[in-house]
Amino acid sequence: MAEAHRPGLVLRLHPEAFEPLVALAEWQQQLTAAGSEAPAAEAHFIGRVRGRSASGAALEALELEHYPGMTEAQIERIAATISRRHGLLALRVDHRVGRVLPGEAIVLVAVAADRRGPAQRGGQELLEALKHDAPFWKREWSNGVGRWVEGNTAY
Amino acid sequence: MIHVRLFAGLREQAGWGERSLAISAQSWPTTPASLWRQLGLGETVPQQVRVAVNQAFAALDQPLQPGDEVAFLPPISGG
Repeated sequence: MAEAHRPGLVLRLHPEAFEPLVALAEWQQQLTAAGSEAPAAEAHFIGRVRGRSASGAALEALELEHYPGMTEAQIERIAATISRRHGLLALRVDHRVGRVLPGEAIVLVAVAADRRGPAQRGGQELLEALKHDAPFWKREWSNGVGRWVEGNTAY
Repeated sequence: MIHVRLFAGLREQAGWGERSLAISAQSWPTTPASLWRQLGLGETVPQQVRVAVNQAFAALDQPLQPGDEVAFLPPISGG
């Protein structure tokens, strides 16, 4: 598991299945580990692989390719920008790489702030930035045939 | 020397993922756009392809330095 820490960001890329609620609990414990008060607002998003491809065929698996090194650097840059813009207190990103099965978690985004507005807006912006500006590529596998996904699903 | 990387569909179309390229002295400064032609990937870089230099997004006409890593990135689909 690749791991990178910057002030305020915990980033993990998982080559194997991960449990988002366990990751979230670990992050919340870290936020209060030094006896500090828990943030007043948190926003969380968990994304899972759907069982159908873009064309409607039953999906066997989603393959996630990434650009090791740039993926981590780019997520750190995105997180720093969004954190500054919304005054966030902490951010966590977990993202799968490799072969992901329908129903498995592919992404967890969590942000902490002092107010619900910055938390929700910052979390949403972080997720959209991951989808468009972090170097990940999805390939859908159906009936033994892989097809690279061009772009993202509807918002 | 420039290190070039291709990902996902671009890598499969080209049939290679990484290549190191010696650039002759008279060809400097070279750019990602000229590398694309030099590598036989096409005349112009398609609009939907993005470029990264040393693992950060960059412009097609950014002058490159010896030792740079240049990556051509097909449309991103993360999250």
